[in-house]
Amino acid sequence: MTVDTPIDRRKIVRKLRDVIDPELGVNIVDLGLVYNILIDDGKMVLEYTVTTPGCPMRRYLQQQIEETLASTEGIEDYETKLVWEPEWNVDMIKEDVEFFAHPPPMQ
Amino acid sequence: MNSGKTSTYILVSLLFFAAIGLITGLYSGLLRIGLLSDMAPRQISPIAHGPLMINGFLGTLIGLERAAALEKMWAYFAPVLMAASTIILLSGLQILGQWLMLLGALGLTYVMSYLYYLQPKIYHLIMALGAASLLAGNILYVFHFPIFELVTWWAAFPMLTIFGERLELNRIMRPPKQAQQLFTALILLWIGALVVTHFNRSVGWIMASLLLTGVAGWLIKYDVARRTIKSIAWTRYSAISLLTGYGWLILTGLFGLWQGFPTAGPIYDGLLHMIFVGFVFSMIFAHASVIIPSLSGKLVPYHKYFYLPLILLHLFLLARVVGDIAWWPVIRKIGSYGNVIAILLFLGGIVFQLIRTGKIKKSELTSTSN
Repeated sequence: MTVDTPIDRRKIVRKLRDVIDPELGVNIVDLGLVYNILIDDGKMVLEYTVTTPGCPMRRYLQQQIEETLASTEGIEDYETKLVWEPEWNVDMIKEDVEFFAHPPPMQ
Repeated sequence: MNSGKTSTYILVSLLFFAAIGLITGLYSGLLRIGLLSDMAPRQISPIAHGPLMINGFLGTLIGLERAAALEKMWAYFAPVLMAASTIILLSGLQILGQWLMLLGALGLTYVMSYLYYLQPKIYHLIMALGAASLLAGNILYVFHFPIFELVTWWAAFPMLTIFGERLELNRIMRPPKQAQQLFTALILLWIGALVVTHFNRSVGWIMASLLLTGVAGWLIKYDVARRTIKSIAWTRYSAISLLTGYGWLILTGLFGLWQGFPTAGPIYDGLLHMIFVGFVFSMIFAHASVIIPSLSGKLVPYHKYFYLPLILLHLFLLARVVGDIAWWPVIRKIGSYGNVIAILLFLGGIVFQLIRTGKIKKSELTSTSN
């Protein structure tokens, strides 16, 4: 099975909402970091960005995105691409988003 | 598919060297205030305290954070050189260690300037100036300037790095443009005041103290911490650490205005530790829940235990500063030991939580596979 319907895209977006930027406590979709979900020959390419080229969370977010995609049913082949165009800015954040609504886990 | 080209093992290894810089730096600090003073020979020179804490620990850690973000092999030169300088300094090869520190700072300045080139924003400029401050301090150190003349540049390194990071993060608060310009102006003038200290120490220090109070006031007014203090877990903890750190910065400014900036003695000691322990370590405690996952890929589960080292850090620093002002050597010593204990308790808590989580995950995996 490959990701080739709009419903599957929505499913991916829903799953990506579980990836939280620990620095801001907001998921990467609402932060406006996910730019594109492209489907080409059954392969899914996710284009995303981070808030700044020096963002310390870059590796962590990439790892979380890859783990999320790997665990999403129906995705067999995927690639993540970090892009810098267009440059991320605060206007890309979803309106009325609640920052720090997802603090890192407690134990 | 593997995330990132750089192995987490390399990052964790370098993080281990940063920890060596921290622990040996703390140990040499204790030697400075008289620990094991009757025992000879000492394994680590007491005068290695500053270089180990600033370069061996902070230089390696900050360099590593940037290199991990950039994912470029050349960016690792800075933390590798800083880590090497720690080992070389500890082996007693003073001159070589100093030159490695200088080269490490040069590498870090290049990395930070590259970030500014990629995204020419004011927060990147402030961070690049922070790295350049470390470079300036290390050049003066290599050329045997007295520590009291260069220590402001060493202090400016973590301070400017943090100021830049906070300005970057606080974009989400959408501070008015004029407020951002004011922050930039205060910081640039503060750097200017540090330059003035080389020509007229008292005038430069009065200017720097006033401007520092202004910077801290700006951070208290505009930092997201004022909002997140109402949150829970690490977010609230981080906000409390940030705000108390800014509080120490204001106290440093006021204390500097009151006492000036001597070239040695208890007041000098008090001022430096208000900055390095009160402000810088508060910031480290505040950012640990973000720094650790950014380098290791593992979240540190929160526990209220972490308030213990934070409270101890502030209380013992207060004792140390009171001991410095009133010249009560015993109180000063208790404060210094207490600060080391607080830092080690925090570090130990982080390591404990990481190991504990690893074990829980491992047992979960084992039970699932069975």
